[in-house]
Amino acid sequence: MAIGEQQTREEDGGADDEFEANVGWRYTLGRIKSDTTARFGLAVIALVLAVTVITAIDTHLSRLTFGALDDYMLAQAAPMLDHPTRHPDPGTSERRMPPFFVDGGSGSITDNPLGTDEAGRDYLTRLIYGTQISVFVGLTATAIGMGVGTVVGAVSGYYGGWVDDVLMRFVESLYAIPALVLVIVFTVLVSGNNPDITYAAVGVAITFIPVFARLIRSRVLSVREMDYVEAARATGVKDRDILMRHVIPNSFAPVLVLATLQIGVTILIVAGLSFLGYGAQPPTPDWGQMLNVSHQYMLSNPWMSVWPGVAIMITIFGFNLFGDGLQDALDPRIK
Amino acid sequence: MSLLRYTVYRLLQAIPVMFGIAVVTFLMVNLAPGDPVDYMISEELASEELIASIEARYGLDEPLWRQFLNYLGFSWFLGLLGVPGFADAPPGLLQGDLGLSMYYDRPVSELMLTRIPPTLMLVLSAYAFALTLAIPLGVVAANRRNKPTDHISRIIALFGVSTPSFWIGIMLIVIFGVWLGILPTGRMVYPWRDPAFYGYGNHLELWYQTLRHLFLPVVALGTLQMAVIMRVERSSMIESLQSEYVQLARAYGVSERTILRKHAFRPSQLPVITLIGLNLTTSLGGAVLIETVFAINGMGRLIVQSIQTLDYQLILGTTIVLGFVFVIGVIITDLAYAYIDPRVTYGEEA
Repeated sequence: MAIGEQQTREEDGGADDEFEANVGWRYTLGRIKSDTTARFGLAVIALVLAVTVITAIDTHLSRLTFGALDDYMLAQAAPMLDHPTRHPDPGTSERRMPPFFVDGGSGSITDNPLGTDEAGRDYLTRLIYGTQISVFVGLTATAIGMGVGTVVGAVSGYYGGWVDDVLMRFVESLYAIPALVLVIVFTVLVSGNNPDITYAAVGVAITFIPVFARLIRSRVLSVREMDYVEAARATGVKDRDILMRHVIPNSFAPVLVLATLQIGVTILIVAGLSFLGYGAQPPTPDWGQMLNVSHQYMLSNPWMSVWPGVAIMITIFGFNLFGDGLQDALDPRIK
Repeated sequence: MSLLRYTVYRLLQAIPVMFGIAVVTFLMVNLAPGDPVDYMISEELASEELIASIEARYGLDEPLWRQFLNYLGFSWFLGLLGVPGFADAPPGLLQGDLGLSMYYDRPVSELMLTRIPPTLMLVLSAYAFALTLAIPLGVVAANRRNKPTDHISRIIALFGVSTPSFWIGIMLIVIFGVWLGILPTGRMVYPWRDPAFYGYGNHLELWYQTLRHLFLPVVALGTLQMAVIMRVERSSMIESLQSEYVQLARAYGVSERTILRKHAFRPSQLPVITLIGLNLTTSLGGAVLIETVFAINGMGRLIVQSIQTLDYQLILGTTIVLGFVFVIGVIITDLAYAYIDPRVTYGEEA
């Protein structure tokens, strides 16, 4: 998504060196604190993370109660266990009920405020529990992609020559294949036609290698020529230590911005993946998968299609808002 | 270097990337744990002879490195050169042959041929939509920097990059197709067909209907691009407005309107051109979803179908071709860049 933009900003990133006084963590934090939109983004992120943690604890506590039961048995034990994530909750409510403010809905904000899904489960509850998957994949995929991409890009930029050529051609080839297509093919084929959200996370991470690698490489190319790197080399520090201790840390600020934005991209890709049926599998609640089901009822129950999209939009909006603010805060040219 | 030589140079540069795409895709598809033949036949029917005959038909009985050479079409060349063992090697990618689809039992290239135009039509129209909105909005936002207009456009752009395109598509169908009932939401009309095929009187009506059918999918797919291009247009426009040549023009008393039109505008389009090329891969990925939502029979739907049916050859072919489309798109935008920017000296690595 934002790769082109990153690129254009990176190309003239060399000006950073003239404004040494305007960088540093304390300075950055101060600027984020005074940026209203970034603070708003941070608030959304905090809310989403809090929801994830609370629902995750809840899920695991209920699984602890049933200790030895695996997911399948939990689903079988559904009637005993009134839990929204693991079982179809049969028959507690009317199916596909519209939200409370629409005629024919529950009429009460306390019952099923956003209505019910195709199996009569409360839509709001499933929406809240759906946060888990998006955040889990968003964080893990970005972290893995950032880690691998950083190493590839740093090695490529630092050593140059044929290493650079080979790695960059590989990275460009990877970038050329549309991320969603790569993730679907990876998830379906590598899982042996048994797609799962873990495969999806790894797949997304692979598609992130190019963006991170190219960004860090462009930074390394300029950091490599710095006097302190020259000095370290002259005193006999090993290449690996120079990379890990000097080059990568000094190239990291823009990577952090990109990572914040890529979390949003992950959530988008996974939503698309689940929408096509290759992400999280039912009965696990996931926004994309909920859209996949509700798409079938688009004509008769349009409300079911509205909510998961709104949830995705707000979550990604939070990460993008914060990433945007972080970018401004780290950019010394903007006062 | 002339533009022609630059073109050739860029094409040569693309060869290793295209090779890389083929390698990455081939390895991913072939090293995956599943066996395509297992997916094709049920367990009761699986006899040694049947498996062997299927493997022979699709060239799966050979070692992997040999399959790879066959697929790329190197074997065919080796056979041509008379290298022993390659005498009757089949044509491959280099000869425009992508093998036989396991599900349809027809050549992959033949299946793809009718699917590429709809996807190109969708993606190019989405870019046309994105550019017509994004460039004026970006210019206005840059011109009124830090004023309400700028903030509003920033918020719109952020929502644009935060919303899944397929969900926008679903919402558009609900609003315009179901609720208001003023626009068609499926059964795409293609302008290259005979008007009589759809029951239209003439080509004018066919084109009109095509535009009507295209509108919703194009808005759904183009919104993300619009948002991204608008932000880049804004920042690059701000940069040009602060540049020395614009300040010089200002010092000479050139009016702001003229500066905006004649001096600042053209150089600000260069980052946008680069961005269009790089984002082509996002659009092609988005097309997979939009084609599914709006039932358009393009490449994206073919890929989804090939995965549903676990048609290995078709998965391979469609993925590689989408990668190639992107590489060619980047070359075209690079050439456009070189053509527009008089400062570019061809051949030097940008």
